[in-house]
Amino acid sequence: MKGFSHFMSGVAVASFGPWAIEAAQQGNPIFFILGGACGILPDTIDFKFYRFFYEHDVYITPDPLNPDPQYVANEFARAVALAVDEKRYVRVKLVSVRLGADFWQQYSVKIDNEKLEVQVKFGPVVNTGQVPVKGTEDRYPTVATAKLKAKVIQTYDAALKVDIFDGPTIGFKPMDNGDLDLEFLPWHREWSHSLTVGAILGVLLGAVAWWASGWTMAWQVFVTIAACYGVHVVEDQLGHMGSNIFYPLTKNRTPGLHWMHSGDGLPNFLAVWISCLFIFWNLYRGVPKPTYHFSFIHLMMVGLVIPGLIFWGLRKLLTLGQNVQMKKGDDADDEWNESKAAG
Amino acid sequence: MSVFWIALFATLAGTVIASLLACLPGLHIYNVMGALVLAIIALADTQWAIAPEIYLPMMAAMIVGWSMVNTIPAVLLGTPDESAMFTVLPGQKYLMDGRGFEGTMITAVGGLAGAFFLILVVAPFAPRYLPVSQEVLKGHMHWVLWIIITFMLMSEWPKGGNRGPAGWAKFYDAWKTLLAGLATFFLAGLLGFIILTRSPVSHEVAFQNIMPAFVGLFAIPWCLLNIISAADMPKQTVTKSLAVNGDIILRSVWSGSLGGGLAAYFPIVTGGVGGMLAGHATAQRDERIFIMGQGVSKFIYFVGSFILMFVPGLHLTRGGGAWMAKTLYTPSGISDYYLILGSIAVASAVAYLLMEPLTKLTLKFISRYNYRHVSSVALAIIILMVWGITGWIGVFIMAVGTGIGLLPVLFGSRRLNCLGILLFPIACNMSGFGETITGWLGLT
Repeated sequence: MKGFSHFMSGVAVASFGPWAIEAAQQGNPIFFILGGACGILPDTIDFKFYRFFYEHDVYITPDPLNPDPQYVANEFARAVALAVDEKRYVRVKLVSVRLGADFWQQYSVKIDNEKLEVQVKFGPVVNTGQVPVKGTEDRYPTVATAKLKAKVIQTYDAALKVDIFDGPTIGFKPMDNGDLDLEFLPWHREWSHSLTVGAILGVLLGAVAWWASGWTMAWQVFVTIAACYGVHVVEDQLGHMGSNIFYPLTKNRTPGLHWMHSGDGLPNFLAVWISCLFIFWNLYRGVPKPTYHFSFIHLMMVGLVIPGLIFWGLRKLLTLGQNVQMKKGDDADDEWNESKAAG
Repeated sequence: MSVFWIALFATLAGTVIASLLACLPGLHIYNVMGALVLAIIALADTQWAIAPEIYLPMMAAMIVGWSMVNTIPAVLLGTPDESAMFTVLPGQKYLMDGRGFEGTMITAVGGLAGAFFLILVVAPFAPRYLPVSQEVLKGHMHWVLWIIITFMLMSEWPKGGNRGPAGWAKFYDAWKTLLAGLATFFLAGLLGFIILTRSPVSHEVAFQNIMPAFVGLFAIPWCLLNIISAADMPKQTVTKSLAVNGDIILRSVWSGSLGGGLAAYFPIVTGGVGGMLAGHATAQRDERIFIMGQGVSKFIYFVGSFILMFVPGLHLTRGGGAWMAKTLYTPSGISDYYLILGSIAVASAVAYLLMEPLTKLTLKFISRYNYRHVSSVALAIIILMVWGITGWIGVFIMAVGTGIGLLPVLFGSRRLNCLGILLFPIACNMSGFGETITGWLGLT
């Protein structure tokens, strides 16, 4: 899911703690801040910290002055050969090509397992908004190829497209049948996306809270952090990529439920909106002597079901007879490319 | 003359005046409304006293006209105010692609869609549901601000650290932009504490005390950037169709009304912040939806916050326009509510009809003159306006604001961090420790 959905889910989970509402009514926002921050924290750890310390075996760094697709293809094939020959996990960095303050040379890497080759093509120059600069689309028509020593299996169809800011990391993992499993962004959703890490973080900050304010504050902080961090891991399991749920007890990502892609508009909006409704309900329960009275069902009908049905009906009406094609997203690609584009 | 005709003429006059003024770069309608309020107060006990049936529709129309037409300088002249920050980036993409007219008009369609949504969907239900939400949320506004601040600061993408081996050097390179973003937020916050606690601006124009800082933080860096780096403006084409359909409008209203609604309802949350949150929440991939959604958001932010004051049973004052109107008048019933809604409906239609000729006129202007020169003239107008309203001290505040506003430009961090000027001091004040901080700073 997107960062904001995780963030709001964290805030919503925090609002279930009566202590959070009580503290907020006295002007103390700490539990809600903790909730939101811990809701987004696993991605923050990956994207803002861990990836800069992640070592790579092969850096593929095209020359901005002389972009050579053959160099990229050869290096990619060399990395595959390294994984096959040495029977070990090989990490490859596809470095971005910056041409100016706001311009980047786009290139794409495609694996053809039938021909057992990699195909590389340099595309248009794009600006930081990922919009192609006119007239640069066909500057490099050559598609370079290089033979691969093994099949490279992609479990999700992340396009290996490199353009703005940082280029992606891919990992080649040898499998028993001799093929290689391609992992997109192997540093993402690794140890950080784990319920255990959330609990440990809760214990650490809970200890600080115990030292500062005593036992009651300590367990409230622990519960808030562990639950809000955990909801991020649980939400990510609804997608394709999954998470390493019980690191260090588990070593690999557990594949997700494939119910959604992390960048899909509707699930993300629903996560945010339902979180808002939960928060509202929890705040309402905390109002000492409410003038207005309503039930949870009433709130959900007025806040979600009725407007949702009207919106759905209107869309149906407006798209009657049209073939509406939604652009399908991809977990890793969405989180990587759209986070970059959002700035 | 009957009240109907008086209100109608006041609405038309307010819309036309605001629409024309909105084409001037850097001039916020609240500055003009401030002057209007002073004039109304001065005339109050004379034979020229202005009746609420004149100034209320006029003020509503001025906000409507400005929030719709202000897209023109924001996109075509590159001088956005804070609420247009998000529209400008894709809007300027359209401009640099020779489609400035299209970008501006798509935003205007968003504004009109926002007007329909506000009047036909929100207004009938507002008296029933908004008082309920106000009762539930009234003690919780402070932490809403804090979580917005937290998300703003945590969600910025590190722009550097793209090359080289793993390690601290790479980490530092990446974090330069994030640190610049944090520095921008807290320096702007510091400036906010000073201005809100001990404003050096004369008390006679106290309602304009934040304006020079805002101009410095947002408008001047854009102008300077345009002057330094302006590329040649490509030939602009005027299209006959905007290639939008009902589905796009519906989805734009969905995302834009969420952002604008948040900004209108929660104090200090501005259109830019609301737009950012809605963009993240609705995850729309279509650029037209994004641009149109920003038009919806901006309209609902400015106009919706003004309406809140008139909602029967709510009487919530949000936004500069409502605060100024409140110094003149206290709404008393459903008739005031209908008066304002009617004025908004008429003003929206008129402002939308004015958009096309005004956009074409501005395009003609910028095609005739060098874009760099246009930006220089815009910069001169802005500085003169600040000097005219707030004097040299205002120019000084503007210069300080410009220094802070240039940080994101130089380091490539988010410009929205400049909103620390309001978010940080007000969140501290609402949580009850603002005075402690102003005490540390020696301001109290």
